[in-house]
Amino acid sequence: MASAELTDTGGSRERGSRRRATLGVLGAPVLWIVLFFLVPVVMIAFYSVGGISGLSPNDIPQFTVTPWKDFLTTDPYMELFWRSVRMSTVVSITSLILAYPVAYLLALVAGKRKYTMLIVIIVPFLTSYLLRILAFRVLLGDQGVINSFLEQVGLIDQPITWLFNSRFAIYAVLSYVWVPFVALPIFVSLESLDLQLLEASNDLGASRFRTFWSVTFPLSLPGVIAAFIFVFIPTLGEYITPLLVGGPSGFMFGNAIQSAFTTGLDWQFGSAMAMFLVVAVAVLVAFFGRYLNVRTVAE
Amino acid sequence: MNVAISARGRRALWFSFGFLLVFLYAPLVILVIFSFNDREFVSFPWQGFTLRWYQQFLENPFLLDSLKTSAAIATMTSVVTTALAIPASIALSRRRFFAKGLVSGVLLAPLVIPLVVLGTALLILFNIVKTLIGIDFELGMMSIMVAHVVIALPFAILTIVPRLERIPVALEEASRDLGAGWWTAFRTITFPLLAPAVVSAALISFTISFDEIVLAEFVGGQTTTFPRYLWSQMRLPRQLPQVIGVAVIVLVVSAVVVMLSELLRRRTDTALEASTTVFDDDIGIPTNEVVSA
Repeated sequence: MASAELTDTGGSRERGSRRRATLGVLGAPVLWIVLFFLVPVVMIAFYSVGGISGLSPNDIPQFTVTPWKDFLTTDPYMELFWRSVRMSTVVSITSLILAYPVAYLLALVAGKRKYTMLIVIIVPFLTSYLLRILAFRVLLGDQGVINSFLEQVGLIDQPITWLFNSRFAIYAVLSYVWVPFVALPIFVSLESLDLQLLEASNDLGASRFRTFWSVTFPLSLPGVIAAFIFVFIPTLGEYITPLLVGGPSGFMFGNAIQSAFTTGLDWQFGSAMAMFLVVAVAVLVAFFGRYLNVRTVAE
Repeated sequence: MNVAISARGRRALWFSFGFLLVFLYAPLVILVIFSFNDREFVSFPWQGFTLRWYQQFLENPFLLDSLKTSAAIATMTSVVTTALAIPASIALSRRRFFAKGLVSGVLLAPLVIPLVVLGTALLILFNIVKTLIGIDFELGMMSIMVAHVVIALPFAILTIVPRLERIPVALEEASRDLGAGWWTAFRTITFPLLAPAVVSAALISFTISFDEIVLAEFVGGQTTTFPRYLWSQMRLPRQLPQVIGVAVIVLVVSAVVVMLSELLRRRTDTALEASTTVFDDDIGIPTNEVVSA
């Protein structure tokens, strides 16, 4: 507020109308997010401890910690959570490793072609998510393209089992889904790199590898961390891909939440788990928030 | 000498680019090729070219209905999101106000929430409104649209704000000085320059909604969107070839739309840059070149 008054050269009436105008343009979008995002998240917090009840048949009608205790202490729910954490870690790191060299190429080597190349990389990300999973099913399935090809040419008699309905399939598909998205923030941070720094490092006798390791890579870290977070968080609650390509090993924390609401009909229990995810995400964002670059949009 | 890369490193990087392209496009290309294979299972051996999967899909009323439903929801989502994103972006990039960091954080927060959480939360919200407050409505297209706007809005804002920041405020101020009201100034000066970003934002919102499955599952009630239909069919191997036919069509259409909108945005961005460089030496006085851009 102070800064607004400092820069405002108009009279107080002018200032008041400016304030109303700001409220006018911000009111609707902020209201939408508050009503349909923040309020509902607060609601599941209340609901998970019995502060609200009567929504599903098994609701406990008074204050209770049972849903939280149930999921924190009984197997296998925490185990599922850690399984999801492992999945998110593997997927984010794999897509980072795949995307980093390409982002480097585009930002520092490719020259004028870089934007066209970037579009070519990003297009698959903007096509349908389910269809990309479908493509992998067609590719990796027991009767899929790879297995049926290998069988036809006589290299194998039995389908390769670890290709599909396996952890491998989950990791492969999710990395595939996220790679283009990961390339973006790394590209942006490398592109804003001052090339004179690299020249200086070179002049001082550093090898290219040394320059990369002690100049380029540290300066691209904000992009790397932003990419990591933007993949890690959504993957933590992922249940579609595990269900479609993971087989028996594909039951994740997200699947536990989803089934509490569909087959299990234990909504309070599901809410407690969903709320737990919110807490986990909040901790991550608090920790890495300054790299997320969300603020710079407003400044 | 190039300090960023050695000749050998350059080759390695181009190789990694080639590898990534194959990784990204091979599954999609294979999907397209096998959608023409005359076989009940989507696999080798190749048994001849056929269009029957495409034909079957055109005759499948459930599938066509689901496509229409999704198109309707995506259109509504796109209109509402863009209508909310334009004022929000103007406030974030053009105005100073109290707790701006917090407000932008709130607007962009849906970027960092697992969809299963948002789905759960909205399902509970809608049920509270229905059973505890007693306003009766059916979960369906409207509730899906409401949910989709929440996740599309941050992307729309992030598309519009950078463009807005590159349009000199001086243009709008000049028109205000010449007696235009803020609405006239916005409508005749800022908006035309902003239009390409608005189109991109609308397309991105449309794509996000058209493709979204998790929220639609949670708050969609009995409404079958295209992703929900796909989801239900993907578990039945017999339906697979036919589903793949649609998949290919949707894939190609969305890829073309996305590429066109990106190219359009890049081109107009370059035009904007070219026209606004006039301001670098002569700040504040719009010239003919600028206005005609």
